[in-house]
Amino acid sequence: MLDFLLGLCILFPIAAGGTIFFAKDKSLQKNIVVLTGGVLAAASLLLITYVPTQTTPDSGLASFLHVPIIVCDFLLLAVIFVIGLRRMSTAVMALAGLQLAGMVMLKFFWHGEAATPLPVFTVDSLAIVMVLVISILGSAIAYYADSYMREHEAHLGLSQSRRNRFFAIILVFLGAMNALSLADDLSWMFFFWEITTLCSYLLIEHDGTTEAKTNALNALVINMLGGAAFMFALLFLQRTTGTLSLTALMHIKMAGELKTAMLMIPMVALCIAGFTKSAQIPFQSWLCGAMVAPTPVSALLHSSTMVKAGVYLILRLAPLYEGTTISSMVAVCGSFTFFAAAALAAGQSNGKRILAYSTISNLGLIIACAGINTTASIAAGIMLLVFHAISKGLLFLCVGSIEQKIGSRDIEDMRGLFAVMPRTALITCFAILTMMLPPFGMLLAKWMALESAIDARAAMPAIVAMLALGSGLTVLFWARWAGIMLGSATTKLVVAKEKQDPDMALVLRGLAYTAGIVSLLAPIVYMGLALPAAGSSTTAAGHVNPTAIYAIYPIYFLVAVGFRYAWKEAQKAEDMAPSLPYMSGIQAEQNGEVGFIGPMKTFVPAQSGNYYLESFFGESRLTKPVNLVGLVLLVMLLGGVLQ
Amino acid sequence: MINLKEWINKGRLKSPWVVHFDCGSCNGCDIEILACLTPVHDVERFGIINVGNPKHADVLLVSGTVNHRNKIALKNIYDQMAEPKAVIAIGACGLSGGVFHDCYNVVGGVNKVIPVDVYVPGCPPRPEAIIDGVVVALEQIKIKLGLAEAPAVHAVHME
Amino acid sequence: MMILGKLLLGVIGLALATFIGGFISGLDRKITARMQSRFGPPLAQPFYDVLKLWGKAPMAVNAWLVLCAYLTLMASALSVFLFFAQSDLLLIFFVMTIGAVFQVMGALSVNSPFSHVGAQRELLQMFTYEPLIILVIIGIAMHTGSFSIASIYALDTPLLYSMPFLYVALGIAFTIKLRKSPFDISASHHGHQEIVRGVLTEYTGRQLAMLEVAHWLDVVLLLGLCSLFWSTSAIGLFLLLAVTYFAELFVDNVSARLTWGWMIKRALGPGVALAMVNLLWLYAIK
Repeated sequence: MLDFLLGLCILFPIAAGGTIFFAKDKSLQKNIVVLTGGVLAAASLLLITYVPTQTTPDSGLASFLHVPIIVCDFLLLAVIFVIGLRRMSTAVMALAGLQLAGMVMLKFFWHGEAATPLPVFTVDSLAIVMVLVISILGSAIAYYADSYMREHEAHLGLSQSRRNRFFAIILVFLGAMNALSLADDLSWMFFFWEITTLCSYLLIEHDGTTEAKTNALNALVINMLGGAAFMFALLFLQRTTGTLSLTALMHIKMAGELKTAMLMIPMVALCIAGFTKSAQIPFQSWLCGAMVAPTPVSALLHSSTMVKAGVYLILRLAPLYEGTTISSMVAVCGSFTFFAAAALAAGQSNGKRILAYSTISNLGLIIACAGINTTASIAAGIMLLVFHAISKGLLFLCVGSIEQKIGSRDIEDMRGLFAVMPRTALITCFAILTMMLPPFGMLLAKWMALESAIDARAAMPAIVAMLALGSGLTVLFWARWAGIMLGSATTKLVVAKEKQDPDMALVLRGLAYTAGIVSLLAPIVYMGLALPAAGSSTTAAGHVNPTAIYAIYPIYFLVAVGFRYAWKEAQKAEDMAPSLPYMSGIQAEQNGEVGFIGPMKTFVPAQSGNYYLESFFGESRLTKPVNLVGLVLLVMLLGGVLQ
Repeated sequence: MINLKEWINKGRLKSPWVVHFDCGSCNGCDIEILACLTPVHDVERFGIINVGNPKHADVLLVSGTVNHRNKIALKNIYDQMAEPKAVIAIGACGLSGGVFHDCYNVVGGVNKVIPVDVYVPGCPPRPEAIIDGVVVALEQIKIKLGLAEAPAVHAVHME
Repeated sequence: MMILGKLLLGVIGLALATFIGGFISGLDRKITARMQSRFGPPLAQPFYDVLKLWGKAPMAVNAWLVLCAYLTLMASALSVFLFFAQSDLLLIFFVMTIGAVFQVMGALSVNSPFSHVGAQRELLQMFTYEPLIILVIIGIAMHTGSFSIASIYALDTPLLYSMPFLYVALGIAFTIKLRKSPFDISASHHGHQEIVRGVLTEYTGRQLAMLEVAHWLDVVLLLGLCSLFWSTSAIGLFLLLAVTYFAELFVDNVSARLTWGWMIKRALGPGVALAMVNLLWLYAIK
């Protein structure tokens, strides 16, 4: 049964992706997407009952996959090499070549037989969290993408639909992501890791514009860099320990059989691989560039799931580097990214770039949690992973809907969006509030992260200072975005119906409810998933108070009652005397627009813009110094091996 | 809830926030209005605050003649004040247009555009007279609220 | 039983805080007037103001303003309640930000240049004081080993001895949160003229009254945070608060309003530096 469920989670979407590539009919494509989504969601939910288990090494699935994976591994790297050749990118060719060479070494020369056969898949709390996020959220986003891409292609005016290609990649990606999360063998994880890299490349360049192609190549180079670090770690581990199984490595660490440095060198390499995947500073450029991809891609790959693979790896490895300098350096790197990316986000007016930088920032926070490396901090990191995936995925989809309607992704153009698309504006606003305010899950997780930060082993003042500053910046760029969207000049609090694609509306609304409900269930998520996942992986308990989280319920209750009352009172605003904004006595209104009476009694609409503080947070000003600091921190991370 | 209403009425009389609109004055009256805020006169004793926003104000102080250009602004500012409210016209120009009353561009006194509750004559009036004007305006508000009988005549006399 | 006691304490604290906040505001105006050789308004003036505003005829630009005013007051009340119920310090702080965020969102929901300028500046003020308060709270937690207020009352020496610089940082945050000069950037408290009260421009009548009460509650909450620094004796606590508030008033009266750029450079920078020095110190002796 376990094998069957794993097969459904991993192979079914891959097979469905293969099928959809040859399905030309749009409704057939949609049906395949819906079917795959349903199967994935059901299988992932059923999989919870198997936590924690491991597949037996001689299980049907493992032995079935063993040879195909080796073959596909070579094929995949060859494909990437060919892409490098066609795009005339020496970097891609070199990195793919290196990895091919490494693969040859690994599979043919250093291939050692383990004394006891080891499991290939591990179904534990941490993995199941990822699988749930990927399978449920990923399916919802794929369903949204169906309508989105129809509109998108109509807008681009393509003569021949490329939907089949798009959905094939998306579905294969979902399977690969699930496999990546469940894999216990690092060489398997590496294979799926590289599949996601390739999927990301193909989806970024999906629209085929020059910009898309350049950015896709940049993403490929940086991710291949991480891939090379991953390959180095594989080779090193194989050579020194003779095993690539995470379970076996954990035993080795526990038994203290190996000199710490021997284990730390591959750990650093794997952390760097995680940093590239999660677009941590100084590798952030690829994720910002990836925003040229169609918005569901940004939602799925570049915020909810694929970039989470990096933090997942770092969280997964946390017990292996626990209590070392490396761990502290990982925490410093993560908290620096949290702060610096939030600063970069504060200087942006492009909605998708704000989301991209804020994603990088939050991933940094998760990495900081992994680096702090106590049960409490890792549980906080897992909470962040879950809630960030939901809220950020939702926000990307909202921006996608808004962009299709108003033709811009600049938040300055979203002023008064409530008048144009009331429901979407409200959902976007809600999603933003779930990102930054209590009692929603993100804030609860950030609260736990901050509280666990005081248990950091080293550099604690630096870590908390960056977390505090980053936290202040987060509120800055979210609050103004939420505020300007609500702009309206009517005292009516009626949420008018909005002409919207029913499927897209369904996903937006569903995810908004999910964000609210899962926040409500935060204590259960914490006790049921996050804490067991963290508890099984570290020994340092840290600042953990499992019952404290239930204190949130009275606050939920009070906030809900207060909000209900405030909403009722606000509805009464309809009966109040309407008034125009104060404009020094020369206010006027024309066609629902508010402005001044200008010279010659002409109407001049009032305009104002946000402060983007370019002198502090401008991208052109910050990027260089931030990258420099990021690079220095990376070198220090490398130096941590020496200790 | 009768108590609350009484308290609110007390608050109304104890906290008249004024907004000052210069409707084309020569600044003579304006200087005297601002003089009220200085330590010598200190109108904050009576809870009077000079606010910049009609939406927060209870009493509108207007100085200067009204002309065709700024009568819109005067009307708008008056309309943006929430009830209960009072208007005080200050200085000869505000009362009637003063020496400018027959200029081609002049509409006349403030009462040509909005209802005026209290007239404070003078060119310019002394700060004491202006403060007295606010106090009389409070009497007007009292009458509007039904807290006092309307007297036959109400005006501030020149000294 | 203990929980019930705490809840009761929270409710009583909230009710008291509203009155104390109003009187502190009145005292503030009185002392300010005296510093300017004026007589000043009666002590109960803030209550008259709020009552009057409550009684104004209802008027609104849009419904969001009304919603946001209610939510701001609710969040401030909730944070004060949690403070007196001796909850987790960080949680109290995060609940306080709900109010600040909604106040800004309301101001941004109106297409008014004054309101927008005020809101943007208020956001920058939030960005400046939030990290400082978080660092202060983390400092307290480092010293006591817990984020709960109850653990501070268990100490036998005042916190101020071990975290004087953090107290200065808290003072800076306090000035910014209270919008006292030189940081009355978002609402231009003095004179009321420039940017016509900025973030508060479009709130009228009842909404303004609610924001005023919310402001009182915020003052009490921040004074409460300050009071934690001398939790061992009632006299010490009172003296500390009196000196702190008087210092706030003094700075308010002798300084002019400055720009947000100045605030970020000259208040956030040194504030974080002071906090860091103190944190490093706590970290070293731990």
